[in-house]
Amino acid sequence: MVLELQKPRPIWQIMFSTHHTDVGLLYLIMSLGFLFLGGALALAIRAELFLPGAQIIGDAMTFNRIFTVHGTTLIFLFIIPFASAVGNYFVPIMVRYKDMAYPKLNAIAFWMIPPAGALIWLGFADFTWYATPPYSIISAPGPAADMWIFGLKILGISSVLGAINFVVTILKCKHPDMSIGQVPLLAWSFLSSSLIILVAIPTFAAALLMLLTDRLGVSGFFNPAMGGDPIAYAHLFWFTFHPEVYVLVIPAIGMMYEIIPRFSRRPIYSYGSGVFAFVLLAIVGFSSWAHHMYATGMSFTEKTVFMVGTLAAVPASAMHVFNFIATMWNGRIRFSTPMMWAVGGIALFFSAGAGGVVNSAMPLDFTTHDTYWVVGHFHLFVMGTIAFGSIGYLYYMFPYVTGRMYNEAMGKIHFILSFVGTVLVFFTQHVLGLYGMPRRIFDYPPIPEWIAMNQIASIGAMIIGVSMAIFLANMIYSSGRGEPANTDDPFGVGGKYYYPFEAKNPSH
Amino acid sequence: MAGHSNWPEWIYIGIVVALMTWVGAEAWEVERLIEHVPADAEIIKVTGQQWFWTFEHEDGTKEIGELHVEAGKAYKFEVTATDVIHSFNIHDYVVLIDAIPGRVNTVWFAPDEPGVHDIQCREYCGLIHYNMRGTLYVEEP
Amino acid sequence: MKGLFGLSLTLVALMITIPAAGMVFAETDEPGEYLDRRVLIWNLFFRMMTVAFTVGAVVSGTIIWQIWRFRESHPKAKPTPYEGTDW
Repeated sequence: MVLELQKPRPIWQIMFSTHHTDVGLLYLIMSLGFLFLGGALALAIRAELFLPGAQIIGDAMTFNRIFTVHGTTLIFLFIIPFASAVGNYFVPIMVRYKDMAYPKLNAIAFWMIPPAGALIWLGFADFTWYATPPYSIISAPGPAADMWIFGLKILGISSVLGAINFVVTILKCKHPDMSIGQVPLLAWSFLSSSLIILVAIPTFAAALLMLLTDRLGVSGFFNPAMGGDPIAYAHLFWFTFHPEVYVLVIPAIGMMYEIIPRFSRRPIYSYGSGVFAFVLLAIVGFSSWAHHMYATGMSFTEKTVFMVGTLAAVPASAMHVFNFIATMWNGRIRFSTPMMWAVGGIALFFSAGAGGVVNSAMPLDFTTHDTYWVVGHFHLFVMGTIAFGSIGYLYYMFPYVTGRMYNEAMGKIHFILSFVGTVLVFFTQHVLGLYGMPRRIFDYPPIPEWIAMNQIASIGAMIIGVSMAIFLANMIYSSGRGEPANTDDPFGVGGKYYYPFEAKNPSH
Repeated sequence: MAGHSNWPEWIYIGIVVALMTWVGAEAWEVERLIEHVPADAEIIKVTGQQWFWTFEHEDGTKEIGELHVEAGKAYKFEVTATDVIHSFNIHDYVVLIDAIPGRVNTVWFAPDEPGVHDIQCREYCGLIHYNMRGTLYVEEP
Repeated sequence: MKGLFGLSLTLVALMITIPAAGMVFAETDEPGEYLDRRVLIWNLFFRMMTVAFTVGAVVSGTIIWQIWRFRESHPKAKPTPYEGTDW
């Protein structure tokens, strides 16, 4: 397997390498760094909202900058690079190729991310991750806003390059003995999410350029004072970023597809339905973008179309949940840390999906749109599903990457605290939204219910913070001084490393 | 997949699709009902700007930050904005529509009993977004 | 695979046509009492929550039962047919 840290090398050998495991390691370390940076901002936000009035953040502008950078960081600098890290490590191995298809392109795609992250963090823009015009054109202070735009532009190019690499590696470089129907589901998840990126990102890339020229005052695409239409930006943005939600979630589901059969000691219940659901989601995901925009004055017909488009994506997601449950059925499950994260992730995935169905029902948008309900809903996805799947997979790949074992007890404590914290923060935020608290507010009137629920959420966030500190300590300590792992079978589940393409399922 | 019986999954998918159809149909019906504006609804022009609300009644009277209406009547809000996007929200009456410069969006409601309710902005609009609040006074007819 | 694809296409088509057809036939005017949007919307919300929590109880109950029953330390746990094979 991919033993990286057991053979000490000078750091520049890793930095200037184009080998897929080296680039994967760089992606991994950078994304985890941004996870902790973005998480620290989340703790600042929750501390600020613990009580009405200014707490630790002096003014509204700083608060607005913090939540903007929090969202941008965790989506673009943690979730996406983390998925790339896993893909870099495992996709070439799974398709039995020596490296990614274009190793240099791979390294370039990685090295575009640190400058982009620097632009976002040094600028510290304040117009939310959605950069909605006309605010972002006429009101957002520069140069922060412009730096954010350039940062996102670079990240978009990096995503597209990475996606091209994955598509070519999987479709063209897989072993000739392997048919596409034998490619493991994790690789399938990268194939479908990369195809979504290739279709979706150019739209936002164009919108970003238009936003930039609007800010420079030379055009008025989205500026109503110059005859433009801000809703056009909303369409372009969500045409990219609703499918992008599936770009984030599909690799996490793919990671669960690796973990769950392994620890259940059974093959995946239905490989075919997993592939089908990935591909279906990648297609249907493009029919639902405007459900983010019900409140912008859309007509009844438009709303109906996008509600149906949204609901049509539900069966595909539900098939994954079924597949996981059916795989675990009749298994002999070892609940090591990765399995705990994966199963917790499924449960929260269901909750997030159920909340999403409610969001898509058009009249309920009046109660939930732009309130804390939405915040709770999408955090259940990004934290409860995507981060849970990713962190589970990180524990899973840890012995293969470092050759050492993480501390199992600390991993389990990390999971339990994170699960409790996630439920406390994000379920409470759903209810808070039903009480009408808007998103993105620095201060709120002293309504007793709002105060109580904000305090529960803040306490939950601190619990997550503690669990993440345990996680960090575990990772740092164990990668240097953990017990050497048996890389043939680090978790003691028996058998060799599980390759679905070698599956001999007698009933198939 | 060939030769591998998958009937539990088919039943499951059927249930999911049926549930989604039900959700869609219910939501569609309610939306249809509440989008129907009564013909005698009084028009109130609402303008959002950084960071307060202005209301103009049919008889030309203007109010800033406060809105006085009568219980038992229907009102139709014509919502717009002058600078950036805001979102006009009376949470207690489940009224929500974006205030977008260059567009007029409409939403209607019929307050049924006297009371005092919060009006707030629900779309991020800058520095004092958190305090872009107003008050709705529903009075005896 | 083909059947699966065909069926899902049919279902998607149905999900689009049924509300569209309803829209054409139900376009009637309803004068009279003002509707109370609060009541309509919150009732819809609570109907959906009833269903969501029922389904949620079934799904999470299944998962919790599985975690309890199929854990390797359960007294009745027995090796799966795939253990020891090279799958």
